Amino acid sequence: MNEGFFIENIWLIPGIPLFSFFIVGFLIRPFSRKAAGIAASSAIFISALIVYSVAWDYYQIFSQTGAYPVVIPWTVEWLHYQEDLSVYVGVLLDPTSLLLMIVVTTVSALVHLYSIGYMHGDDGYGRYFTYLNLFTFSMLGLVAAPNIMQMFVCWELVGVSSFLLIGFYYQKPSAVAASKKAFVVTRFADLGFLLGILILGYYGFLIFGEFDGVALSGIADQSRLQPFDFQFLNHPQVLAKFSEQGELFGGISLLTLAMVLIFAGAAGKSAMFPLHIWLPDAMEGPTPVSALIHAATMVVAGVYLVARLFPAFAASGTALLVVAYVGAFTCLFAALIGCTQDDIKRVLAFSTLSQLGYMMLALGVSTMASPLGYTASLFHLFTHAFFKALLFLCAGSVIHAVHSNEIWDMGGLARKMPVTHLTFLIATVAIAGLPPFSGFFSKDEILAAALGNQHPVIFLVGMLVAGMTAFYMFRIYFVTFWGHARSQGAEKAHESPPVMLVPLLILAVLAVVAGFVPMGSLISIGQASEHHGINWAIAIPAVLVALVGIGAAWLLYAGKPERVSALVRLWGNLYILVKHKFYVDELYLFLTHKVIFRFISRPIAWFDRHVVDGGVNLSGWSTRKFGAVLSLLQTGQVQSYGSWYVLSAAFFGLLLWMMFSGS
Amino acid sequence: MMEFLSGISPGIEHWLILSALLFSIGIYGVLVRKNAVGVLLSAELMLNAGILNFVIFNYFITPLIVDGELMALFLIAVAAAEAVVGMAIFVAIYKHKKTVDVTRLDTLKG
Amino acid sequence: MWNEAIHSLVFYFLAGLSILTAIAVVGSQRILRAALALAGVLICNAGFYVLLDFEFLAGVQVLVYVGGIVILVVFAIMLTSSVELVENHPSSHRKWIGALAASFFFLVTSSAFLSSDFPVDRNALRSIADVKLLGRKLLDYGAEGYVLPFEIISLLLLSVMIGGIIVARKAPQSEKKK
Repeated sequence: MNEGFFIENIWLIPGIPLFSFFIVGFLIRPFSRKAAGIAASSAIFISALIVYSVAWDYYQIFSQTGAYPVVIPWTVEWLHYQEDLSVYVGVLLDPTSLLLMIVVTTVSALVHLYSIGYMHGDDGYGRYFTYLNLFTFSMLGLVAAPNIMQMFVCWELVGVSSFLLIGFYYQKPSAVAASKKAFVVTRFADLGFLLGILILGYYGFLIFGEFDGVALSGIADQSRLQPFDFQFLNHPQVLAKFSEQGELFGGISLLTLAMVLIFAGAAGKSAMFPLHIWLPDAMEGPTPVSALIHAATMVVAGVYLVARLFPAFAASGTALLVVAYVGAFTCLFAALIGCTQDDIKRVLAFSTLSQLGYMMLALGVSTMASPLGYTASLFHLFTHAFFKALLFLCAGSVIHAVHSNEIWDMGGLARKMPVTHLTFLIATVAIAGLPPFSGFFSKDEILAAALGNQHPVIFLVGMLVAGMTAFYMFRIYFVTFWGHARSQGAEKAHESPPVMLVPLLILAVLAVVAGFVPMGSLISIGQASEHHGINWAIAIPAVLVALVGIGAAWLLYAGKPERVSALVRLWGNLYILVKHKFYVDELYLFLTHKVIFRFISRPIAWFDRHVVDGGVNLSGWSTRKFGAVLSLLQTGQVQSYGSWYVLSAAFFGLLLWMMFSGS
Repeated sequence: MMEFLSGISPGIEHWLILSALLFSIGIYGVLVRKNAVGVLLSAELMLNAGILNFVIFNYFITPLIVDGELMALFLIAVAAAEAVVGMAIFVAIYKHKKTVDVTRLDTLKG
Repeated sequence: MWNEAIHSLVFYFLAGLSILTAIAVVGSQRILRAALALAGVLICNAGFYVLLDFEFLAGVQVLVYVGGIVILVVFAIMLTSSVELVENHPSSHRKWIGALAASFFFLVTSSAFLSSDFPVDRNALRSIADVKLLGRKLLDYGAEGYVLPFEIISLLLLSVMIGGIIVARKAPQSEKKK
């Protein structure tokens, strides 16, 4: 097998951003802000080019055989626990990870470029690029992880960099609160992930021993296989052993428990209901960050995790059902809220939630036998990354011009910002799912997968949300770009600098053409899926629903605000309920403050303060008192010391004498 | 009278107890005297009791060799050295502090 | 019979005298008296050595100890003008602690002595020419010899002499001031 240079040196892909993180963070940043931005951006661009080259080589090598195996071109031992148990770090190469690497590096590179313009003049310019590099490194490490340990480490690193970037404007209390909220919520979810890893790791290690010397089919180099490796955990023989591990209470199998716990971690990162509350607040960060982290890359880490462990999820059907219904519910729930929000970034955030729900439900409805949903999910991930990043960057461009997040402060921007307007429109059409834009293809596949695998409820939810997506996206489009300027900022708005527009244009092109990538023949799992064309029986109704949504948005928001207020009056309390995001945040606050704090934390705090601290203080106090008493002996009078010495010497002499005379 | 006296002629225990008594008196002096010179005198007393022990054991246990006596000689020499150094130190302390009262020399106080 | 009786008599006399003078050493108020009492104890000890047939050692004791060390101490007392110093009574609790420590020590050691069984060799004849033997041993560098400690003692005395001079002489700074 003649591998290309970059496949052999694949560690460069995460390595360059890491290297750049250190260089920019420690060497360049203190001296030159401009150089920091350029160095950080060029590092990501180089990394992106390497990814493209690796992808090209990979498909060149395996296109003859027609099957795309998992390759691990590079590993190095990281933690050595015992003879047959170590943790490696390495890079795993298969179509799924390649897809994610392409998405991450491309979007990250464009966001870096965009940020050079957007963050211009900001105090934390160098710091910002340092964090972005750290994030990109962590995300690439996560995507490339060949085992669950590396994934968890990078998972947490991603969480940290997300925390740093959300709280980037750390003088703003709301940003600080948002970053804390994001960190605490995802960290709480990661607890589930960690527990799942522990269960998988423990039983995986037991099963690993049983396979000592037994060949596992389809794995080339079994000598370096470790129980944490995805290849091992996803192996059908291993999963068969796993399902023999017996049932827990209530008939839940061990595998289901582990997978549901892991899904909890994935749901935290991907902001699935009910752990979605951090994502809308995370919009406090700089807008390019929202584009990169909270739209295109980090939030899809959860989807990627489920995809990565898909055979294990599929082996436990219950866990997959949980994934599907949580995804579908989040999809609908977020779309509903998205229709009522006034902050442009928040609408986009809820739209992200909704689209992530699509990806999750697509994964949830597929099985190993008919894995169309798997392909569809990753396809949607791919297209969504581009048009959502584009939407955010356009929003950033608008916010940059208007200096406000409120859509009601904007209006009439179509003429003042033509490029932004055009690209925003492309992205909006793409997310609404109109042909021939990219969102159409992936959404069509998801709906086909849901219907094809007998999940009619989920299919209907998907259909409904397709219409709602079109509605709320065109709502903000009409309000922002049509009509007349509603504020001083909107009147004075002007187009952004070229360095910001170039990424917009590139992403716009990608948003248009990404749908034509033959994803079905590139990415699949289990049985090689039959090449799936466009299912017109589903596509036409979906497009019609989307058109209805657009029409509704045009009717309500293109110029006649009194229609909206009439509708709001009509719906009354329901509208307020949705506008306040179903009061989920308030529910959490109630739960934490009124229930957990009062009935659990306070007694614990009391116990800690009075009993634990009291014990500590007592020991300190008694030591001090004892020392004070002892220090009285320290008179400086040598003769006193001598007295004690003679007394004790005589005493020990007596002891010795009694011991030896006695025997 | 004579018989009584010859009957209680001192054995090794008598001698040893005598030396132990002298030594203990020396200890008492070392621990109690305030004047540094007095402490030194008491220490000399203890040393002497030690020397006496060597001589006693030489006499009673190994009468044919003279090692105990030799040790006594060495000890006398060491005692002389000790007295010289001690006195020199006292003279220096006296010059420095105008006192040789050991209860007031409490630099070691914690 | 006579011999033994006189031996006992002298022993008890000397023992009583040495204990009395020793108590005077630790108890007397004036330091000069204590020094003189120490001389008494030392002379009594010399008597003990005679009693134990160590005439040479007794001579050395009187010469070096009484004649050298005690005289040195007396000089030191005069130099530090402790002569006038009528010692204040040491605090009573220290007296009690000291007495307790000393008597405890005495009880332990003496009871150990009394309960021990020493391999006393009373029948052996004492060699008369012990000084000759002493000299031989002191300069013998064989397995039984003491030439090395002898040399070390001479070195010790030399260094003590030098050290004593250096410690006790005036500090150089004060010389400069003058």
